Amino acid sequence: MNASTTDRFVIPIGPQHPALKEPGHFEFTVEGETVIDATVRLGYAHRGIEKGAEGRNWTQSLYLLERICGICSHIHSTAYVIGVEQMAEVEVPGRAQAIREVIAELERIHSHMLWLGVAAHDAGFDSLFMYTWRDRETVMDLLETISGNRVHYSANILGGVKFDLTDEAAAAILKGIDFLEERTRHYREVVSQDAFFLQRTRNVGTMTREEALQLGVVGPTARASGVARDVRVDAPYIAYNEFPAQIQLLGAGDLEARFLVRIDEMLDCYRLIRELLAGMPAGELTAKRMPRKLKPGEVISRVEAPRGELFYYIRSTGGEQPDRVKVRTPTLCNMGSVLTQTVGHNLADVPMILVGIDPCFSCNDRAVSVRRAGRAEGQAWSWADLRRYGINYYRRQLNLDTDHRPTDLLTY
Amino acid sequence: MTLTQKPLQRVEALLEPWMKPDKTGRPAGNRLDIWLTADDLLPVVATLVEDEWGYLAAITGLDPGVATGELHVLYHFAEGAAVLTLRVVVPRDAAEVPTIRPLIPLAAIYEQELSEVLGVAIVGAPARGRLFLPDDWPDGVYPLRKDFQLEQFNDKEQGGS
Repeated sequence: MNASTTDRFVIPIGPQHPALKEPGHFEFTVEGETVIDATVRLGYAHRGIEKGAEGRNWTQSLYLLERICGICSHIHSTAYVIGVEQMAEVEVPGRAQAIREVIAELERIHSHMLWLGVAAHDAGFDSLFMYTWRDRETVMDLLETISGNRVHYSANILGGVKFDLTDEAAAAILKGIDFLEERTRHYREVVSQDAFFLQRTRNVGTMTREEALQLGVVGPTARASGVARDVRVDAPYIAYNEFPAQIQLLGAGDLEARFLVRIDEMLDCYRLIRELLAGMPAGELTAKRMPRKLKPGEVISRVEAPRGELFYYIRSTGGEQPDRVKVRTPTLCNMGSVLTQTVGHNLADVPMILVGIDPCFSCNDRAVSVRRAGRAEGQAWSWADLRRYGINYYRRQLNLDTDHRPTDLLTY
Repeated sequence: MTLTQKPLQRVEALLEPWMKPDKTGRPAGNRLDIWLTADDLLPVVATLVEDEWGYLAAITGLDPGVATGELHVLYHFAEGAAVLTLRVVVPRDAAEVPTIRPLIPLAAIYEQELSEVLGVAIVGAPARGRLFLPDDWPDGVYPLRKDFQLEQFNDKEQGGS
């Protein structure tokens, strides 16, 4: 693309591309290399789950809501069950709450590892991608060992958990996180010292604390800009009172800080899981009785998903099924920041800025077309092309061979 | 307990002019509910923003049933463990609330969702296409309203195509 600075292009990206859990359609207007405007269209994966929950009983809705996300399934079911348990005035045994926390932290590790790999891939650093995804298998295997499943662990039931943590499972977890901790420390070194990588992350997509507050971002994206918000700390739920998480804060607000905050969070996860396993309370796994019908009422339930605060509002009118379940996921809060942060940046930085908020990755198709603003004819670009453009742009900056065609491991 | 009580005391002092005894509730230890008219919404949100109390955590749209003739819009603000909910009741057949996006830009995305799925018009919001529902979704059909009938909708869709 050899556009002169006076040429304006509108670059539509998506709706299908590998950078988002829900397919999203973006339009970036560029002047030369610089993005001057950005818009988004969501809803391509709108499945009507909130409406669906209204037609199912309290137990069935649990399984439906757990399937909102294939990466952070446990945190969705946790937000729901703690809300319903509060309305039903059911006391959940301490052991069940501690097991919920172990699973939630293992899920955070797997989610951050997955993100680290994909972000490295989008930066053109495929060896880091392959190493992190190889290592992520360790935590996936642990989740499978405990629950029998890699994705939808189905650990939660209303009033407790479905399975116990055996001594063998605890030993396997300890061994696994010893390995992961060593690897994570290595990744922290790579991410904060590798000169090539830092060129893609340092001072890129910077968001000041004021901007972060104004934009309303949540989770690691907010904490990398110095906004001290973490529901686990602010409003402890399940066992976070007995086994507290430590908030990870950085002030730089750029992509590098978003990498480091997530890596630091993983390191804190290892500490937390060790403490949980060492101090695991004895006792039952479920409450004595969980009513089928709930009294009329409403409850607000907030939890810290890997990507930030997950918000549930649940209302009962006294029946066997919810009257309303409102779900506000963290990616929705963070999406707005992509639009404002990309403006003024190079088109080449768009993939990294988008990936920086950690939108979930599960879609597998990409369709990007480049067209001159106001003209009908266009040249088709895929997400892979945009990613390659970004990588080659920075290779040019470093006077490296620009014929480089990075492999597209995520292009199925 | 201070994590919860301090922010709640502060917001009670801030919003004192709008808190009427019969329009205020404490549904849980960490929560404060205030019922407002749509006219009072902007001054209240402006007060929260000016004094930097919490952040807009979500906007929930509720249909309490066709018989009530009402729709409810809940603005949830969170600070630490405390949650303030501003509850605006609007008539079902003329459901509209003013936009709060000039005060809180993030609200745009929540308001858009509210107008699409529950049919609450956002006064002052720029007209734009759909953000969540499909482009070919029929106008005036709001899936989160209780009188929305999936079966009828499917019939209509099949008849149309």
